[in-house]
Amino acid sequence: MNRAIWLLALFIAAPAQAQFKLPDLNINKLIDTARGVVKATRDIDENEEIAIGRDVAARLLGAAPLVNDMRVQRYVNNVGRWLASQSERPDLPWRFGVMEAPQLNAFAVPGGTIFITRGLLEKMHSEAELAGVLSHEIVHVVRKHHLKAIQKGALAHLSADAAGAALNNVNAEARGKLIAFGTEMYSRGLDKGDEFEADRLGVVIAARGGYDSYGLPAVLQTLQGMNAKDSAVALMFKTHPAPGERLDTLATRMQPLLDSYAGQPQVRERFAMETRAAR
Amino acid sequence: MRLLFLALLFPLLGHAEPATVIRATELKSEPATDASTVAQLPENAAVEALERKGGWTRVKAAAGEGWVKMLALRYGGSGSAKKGDTGLAQVFNVARTGASGTQVTTGVRGLDEEKLANAQPNPAELEKLNNFAAERRAAAGFAAKGKLSAHPVAYPK
Repeated sequence: MNRAIWLLALFIAAPAQAQFKLPDLNINKLIDTARGVVKATRDIDENEEIAIGRDVAARLLGAAPLVNDMRVQRYVNNVGRWLASQSERPDLPWRFGVMEAPQLNAFAVPGGTIFITRGLLEKMHSEAELAGVLSHEIVHVVRKHHLKAIQKGALAHLSADAAGAALNNVNAEARGKLIAFGTEMYSRGLDKGDEFEADRLGVVIAARGGYDSYGLPAVLQTLQGMNAKDSAVALMFKTHPAPGERLDTLATRMQPLLDSYAGQPQVRERFAMETRAAR
Repeated sequence: MRLLFLALLFPLLGHAEPATVIRATELKSEPATDASTVAQLPENAAVEALERKGGWTRVKAAAGEGWVKMLALRYGGSGSAKKGDTGLAQVFNVARTGASGTQVTTGVRGLDEEKLANAQPNPAELEKLNNFAAERRAAAGFAAKGKLSAHPVAYPK
């Protein structure tokens, strides 16, 4: 019995021993590469997601700083945090910011950071409209739309081990490339399907928070009324399906739900008061 | 006196936006499906949109005034050109010519593709962002002040 086990052990160990003696084979590099592949293709855990998000958020703030008005920033954080509490990821470190930019846009960053521009805020008429837009962005975070796109991009543009190193933040150069890629993604946009999903589920989150469910459609209607060639909406229109198409899709898929919660508050007065200085 | 009167009246009139209905639509006397029908609006009928209430928008049409389903409306008028540039181009010009006189020109170019491509991290702004964050409980209190109450709503299939 014992002899049989010994023989078996020798049999297994022998080929491995032989491998280590091959002169051209760098076993450490092989192991590193294998780790990189595992790292780059498996799910990114929440702490890594938050760390990637902070790096991307810092870059976006390098492109446009926050509006210098504490009142509006605190207001948008209250609205956003309340809505995020109605989502499936209520305990992320949620952050909301109004960016100093005349263009109309909003961005969701992995890990729970959301930006809207002053230009978009200026076009809104109520807290329900703000809630509609923030809810759309919250869905992008909850469903990890950008995170998945960043991961996919890392695998497509970096070697497997570099992608792993970048996602794990062990190599500064690879990490820099990854974050630059993650920031440029806001110029390219997500898959259309992700945007339509964010519209549908965003309407639900706003309704859960007690807001008039027509807030997001109302903003889309405002956007639809703008000239697509207007430089203020050029980037937003390039990265999203046309607002008319988004309205059609909501009408087809969501009309009964929208009508069930249409009577909830729009909260116009507070919105006007809290955003006055920023608008 | 007359001017003052007009100034007071103006906000009540609201802001009329040219729009069209994208399908044949009933013009209702009230914002409700069971309200009486004022007129039948044909597809592509031109209207003036006045105000929104839930899923309804009050409009002025050739056939009269009333309410239509908000999602049946598209802004911009039928075939007419939409409004042009919102003046961003002018803002850019100010930025380019620099601070002439008292013009403050910081940050006016805002956020475009070039900015996103060349952005460098701004840790000071990130720190500010962190400081503005709201606690979950504080946000719940804020919602209650706005008479908002949470309730479960299921995602659509």
